[in-house]
Amino acid sequence: MATMFERYGGFATVSKVVMAFYDKALDSDVIGVYFENVEMPALIDHQTKFISQVMGGPASFSDDVLERVHAPLKINGAAFDEMLSVLQETLEDFDMAEPDINTILGELRARRSRVVHA
Amino acid sequence: MMNLDNINTLLLESAGVGLALLDPDGFDILMSNRRFEEWFPDTVGLGKSVDQVLENIDLDKLRSKLSADKPYTFETSFQMKRRSVNLAVTCSRHTHNDAAVVIMECQNISKMKELEYMIESYSKMIEKQNRVLQKEKERTEKLLLNLMPKSVYQELKTFGVTTPQRYDEASIFMLDFVGFTDMAIAQDPAGLISELNDIFTAFDRIAEQFGCERIKTMGDAYMAVSGIPEANPEHALNIARFAVLTLRYIKRRNSVHSQKWVCRIGINSGPVIGSIVGVQKYVYDIFGPGVNLAARMETLSEPEEITLCEDMHRLIKNEFHFSERGEIEVKGFGKKQIFTLDAARSAVQMSNDDMIDNLPI
Repeated sequence: MATMFERYGGFATVSKVVMAFYDKALDSDVIGVYFENVEMPALIDHQTKFISQVMGGPASFSDDVLERVHAPLKINGAAFDEMLSVLQETLEDFDMAEPDINTILGELRARRSRVVHA
Repeated sequence: MMNLDNINTLLLESAGVGLALLDPDGFDILMSNRRFEEWFPDTVGLGKSVDQVLENIDLDKLRSKLSADKPYTFETSFQMKRRSVNLAVTCSRHTHNDAAVVIMECQNISKMKELEYMIESYSKMIEKQNRVLQKEKERTEKLLLNLMPKSVYQELKTFGVTTPQRYDEASIFMLDFVGFTDMAIAQDPAGLISELNDIFTAFDRIAEQFGCERIKTMGDAYMAVSGIPEANPEHALNIARFAVLTLRYIKRRNSVHSQKWVCRIGINSGPVIGSIVGVQKYVYDIFGPGVNLAARMETLSEPEEITLCEDMHRLIKNEFHFSERGEIEVKGFGKKQIFTLDAARSAVQMSNDDMIDNLPI
């Protein structure tokens, strides 16, 4: 059976989703500040691979790596929730099916404790 | 302000591109479109020179390019709220109603930069995966090459099937151990197999030195061949030398180990057919009268001897010492003159003995 990653068109689609996501995220007053002075091309690249991974595509980040890169950012729970809602909105903009959106958000929620450190 | 009536306002206001008109002498910003103002508010008509607004612009270079009637291009970036925006800028000189003006076009290339980064990153990822795949392929190939000759492997790879090949000029070596099942070490199967493995590994290395190739082992039996798949005019000599050295190796090994291995060897020269057997489980095997006769020779062989018949004797009689056993009825082949190759008296170069010395025993 094709993975979600394959069904939605692979990296080409995921990279568009992730770029659109950061466009929204930068405008958000809750999480925008986390992305100030960040090298966006690298961040978008990593995030594309990560989202691809949770959609069943190639590339892999271990949860330990996830924790290591987020720990110094002292991200709080509210920011994490905002990130989820911005992502949900973006995924809906791309007409992804609700069960698929829930799968992706579920994968992210499962890693909450690795990302939130405040 | 200059008269800009016949400049297309729509173009000026065009969505993606930031446009500004510069004074050709001091490069002050005279006018700009909406997009440019979004990026750089409060710059028009304030006598601001463009280098006060854009980083990275080299006014000397700009001046020299424009006086040569060439466009000046550069990349720059600025911070817009939280975003870092990358611009590709082109400045060019135009004349309008005999007055010179510099048009500055700014393209937002942030997205392009992000895509470039991603393309590069994915190319690297794919290259890495390709290298892994390539390695895996080489490993598989190496495994398959252990199972069959290279030419057969290539045939299999190209056509998906192989045809059995007949080789008229080939020699075959067969060995087994006398009383293998009764050997004391049979109480310790793991130890026995480990010793057998050592011996057969040593055989493989000797075979390699003499243009022979192991076809298979079956229990305590070892079968090797020379002259296939590549023809080798020395196939009979190769197999005979190989037989002499395996025998010497076993004797040397027995002299230092408590476990004594007693082998018998049959060798023969004759036609064989080489073919892959099986579809899912490939085995490359050889068949034919040459093989059958070698097997008969092994059966006829006394312990620690190398037995052959007239067919092969004819080919190597000048190179080795033999003792005659006379005519014996060989099942399926009729009467054959049988010989024993005298390994001790046959001078296979001493350098080859050194080779045996270097093998683990």
